[in-house]
Amino acid sequence: MTAQAMATDQRIIERYTDQPARLPAALRQEIEARLGGGSVQLYALADLDAALQLSETWLAVGESRVAVCKTSGRTIVIRTFARAAVQLVRLEPGLTCNTLLVLGEPGEPALAHFRFTHRQRRAMENVHFLLEQALEGRGVERVDPDEVYADSVAGPVREAQALVAGNDMSVLFRLLSYLQPYRGKVLFGFFSAVVLTALALIPPYLTGILIDEVIQPVSDGAKTVAEVREFAWLAVGAIGLAYALRQLAAWARLRLMAILGEHVARDLRTELYAHLQRLSLSFFSRKKTGSLITRVTSDTDRLWDFLAFGFVDVSLAIIQLIGLAIVLTHLDMQLGLVMTIPVPFLCLWVYFHGKQMNTLFLRAWRKWSRVTDVVSDTIPGMKVVKAFNQEGRERERFNHRNHDVTDEFNRIHMVWTAFWPALMFAVRGMVVVVWVLALPRLLGDGETVNTLTSGTFVAFLLYMVMFIQPIDVIGQMARIMNRATSSAHRIFEVLDTEPQVVDSDEALRLEPIEGRVTFENVVFGYDGVRQVIKGISFDVKPGEMIGLVGPSGGGKTTVTNLIARFYDVTGGHISIDGVDLRHLDTGHTRQQLGMVLQDPYLFHGTVIENIRYGMPTATIDQVVEAANAANAHDFLCKLPNGYETQVGERGHTLSGGERQRISIARAILHDPRILILDEATSSVDTETEHKIQEALDRLCAGRTVFAIAHRLSTLRRADRIFVVEDGKLVESGTHPELIAIEGGVYRNLYELQLEMHAPKNEIETIRRG
Amino acid sequence: MTEAIPKLSGVELSLWRGEDGRLWTQGESGPTAVRVVRCFPWSDPGCYVSLRDTDDDEVALVRDVSDLKPDSRRALAYSLLEAGFVLEIEAILSVEEEIEIRTFSVRTRQGVRKFQTMRDEWPRDLPGGGLLIRDVVGDLYMLRDPQDLDARSQKLLWAFLD
Repeated sequence: MTAQAMATDQRIIERYTDQPARLPAALRQEIEARLGGGSVQLYALADLDAALQLSETWLAVGESRVAVCKTSGRTIVIRTFARAAVQLVRLEPGLTCNTLLVLGEPGEPALAHFRFTHRQRRAMENVHFLLEQALEGRGVERVDPDEVYADSVAGPVREAQALVAGNDMSVLFRLLSYLQPYRGKVLFGFFSAVVLTALALIPPYLTGILIDEVIQPVSDGAKTVAEVREFAWLAVGAIGLAYALRQLAAWARLRLMAILGEHVARDLRTELYAHLQRLSLSFFSRKKTGSLITRVTSDTDRLWDFLAFGFVDVSLAIIQLIGLAIVLTHLDMQLGLVMTIPVPFLCLWVYFHGKQMNTLFLRAWRKWSRVTDVVSDTIPGMKVVKAFNQEGRERERFNHRNHDVTDEFNRIHMVWTAFWPALMFAVRGMVVVVWVLALPRLLGDGETVNTLTSGTFVAFLLYMVMFIQPIDVIGQMARIMNRATSSAHRIFEVLDTEPQVVDSDEALRLEPIEGRVTFENVVFGYDGVRQVIKGISFDVKPGEMIGLVGPSGGGKTTVTNLIARFYDVTGGHISIDGVDLRHLDTGHTRQQLGMVLQDPYLFHGTVIENIRYGMPTATIDQVVEAANAANAHDFLCKLPNGYETQVGERGHTLSGGERQRISIARAILHDPRILILDEATSSVDTETEHKIQEALDRLCAGRTVFAIAHRLSTLRRADRIFVVEDGKLVESGTHPELIAIEGGVYRNLYELQLEMHAPKNEIETIRRG
Repeated sequence: MTEAIPKLSGVELSLWRGEDGRLWTQGESGPTAVRVVRCFPWSDPGCYVSLRDTDDDEVALVRDVSDLKPDSRRALAYSLLEAGFVLEIEAILSVEEEIEIRTFSVRTRQGVRKFQTMRDEWPRDLPGGGLLIRDVVGDLYMLRDPQDLDARSQKLLWAFLD
């Protein structure tokens, strides 16, 4: 973890929780003084006391002592006990109150008893792990306790929230920087929009002049038609030209910015998708798939909307309002002020209306989600609904929620339908005030005679109509900006994430890989503290087949993930043909590595595309050969479109066994030097298993194979079997060697499986040899 | 129905609090430290209480806490309190919407607390009335009766209430 990442975590804690971002320095000093030398190795906060009230008690572990520090206001009570006194550490979960019990001698009072909410759980689990490891005589790699604490407390918020360094404005500017390659077009689009706005101001102005200089003088008899004809047509022509140019500018602006927005959205999607491909698997296990898909699709689309229209619309609305205010006050100061002074208040009114609508929509969305819950529950589960004859109840459940949400949407309609006429009424009210002030001046009562001409007044009336649209846009500015920055945050969060597995500049390429795989005291933990692999060492020769067995969660899949370098080890070394995996070109190494998983993943497309996935240039002959070897050819021929049958999303139009055989054909074609089989036959029937096993036997020949299996019978061809339990390699050897270990893990597993599948007398026969 | 629950226990079950602060009972192979899990924490918290050993295997299932002997009931009381503990909201101080999360600042019976929920995570109605909010780390916040909240809290929570 970098210093920057720790600083981010500490900022998250400060901003989103009410607890310290680290063990306070003064407190730490005092604790370290009581720990009898050495620094704090790890610490956590217990935020509940014995009375189940929120409180602050620190648990800090030193080299030889453990400190419990209770703070209450200015009172600090620290007590310590020796780590050697710890006999048992129990961490027990609760609804919200979890407990960590540190016990000494049996029957003696607990050395410490902590209660804490789930917020502290990761940090407490780390301490629990450290103490437990010590009890088992194992050490834990040294870590920065501040870093681990910050990561464990801030982690859940960080994972839930798209957090990007910088505030909303900096995110917005960063987003706008994507317009840089298109700056010429942007400027032209913006210029078109300014022209559009400026041209909109011309027709009302000319209309006023027409009335004052043409219609009024002719009506009064002050001028003849002949005298004004040329000027009149000129003015009408200018109005027509202004309208024509305005539409031209509108066309240029709409087309230019819409296309440009698409280009920027495309660039963002391209960059985002390419970056996603670079990221390590740990990123994908942290983030929900749906959330990532949304970022590539809806968020980039939303940014198109902002870049194409929102950004320009908001800028122009401001320019238009300022322009209108200048023109109106220039035409007539008194009436101009009547029109412009209320504008900020109207904008505020629109803004508060937007906020009210947000709350209303939030409530409606909540109720809408209840409607969708029923639909998404019952449609996939229709068989169960019908089997239990619950159609009536489901209909009632749906109707109730449907009515409920309709009421909410109607409430929204009540509000907005009341608001807009009210806003219009306010604007019309301003018009009435203008009339009230203008009428005496137009009619000329006494001193104010002739201070306002009919033309100026008509121009005024036309300008007044133009106030409404920009007021609406500015009122919604906050929402537009908020939507854009939200999407930008979510996208930049992905772009700012660095892959954890990175190749060095001088990465080596082994051509071809022989297939020797060596683990030297390998240690690995997904979160950096709790070790999932605890010092595993082995050496596998090229072409050897290794069976990996052991209880679930013991670390078998993690071993294979490390071989594929989906993660980097936290301690020790893994080497391929004697070269450290971290010094190899990962992409090139993976080209020579194949995987067949328990739930084979097929992509949307045809069967042949899926078989060719790892080797797109394979000939049809090679594909058919691979399918034959995988025992897939026969069933593929029975499909309506043969090898060119669409397999549907994730291959769900095929059975599990069929998907598995396609994935084996894919692996055969890929021709890997190292092959990983992860429960490849676990979810199929016996006949299919037999066919898959045959295919696997052909696939495994001549390669280094790591095969994970729960059904030990599938490992009969394995040269050696590794038993992995609790992150350790507890047994290794051939099947007969492991069976011979009295009370051994493998022997127990084997006997358990025999009891499940074979009659008792057979077991006895097997046991007797 | 009871035949299907072989470990159902009541009067015959003996529970005590050990020196180490844990809850103990008599297991098949001697005294066993147990933890408590409420099977129905919201609709019937005093019934069907599962007692589980250190391997998380069920040692006994208490159908009704009131069936226990007074000593055992007393010993169980604090463990039950701990097992069913959730933070109880008394007032909503603020609700802020952010990019993907919603931050609530609340005053609970246990003290002031700030927490986050996902924006698409809504409070859950409880069987006996009231609401339950789950934050991003899994902590639970109970609102016994929204009508008891002050006007400002009710206004802030309006979108989340029926």
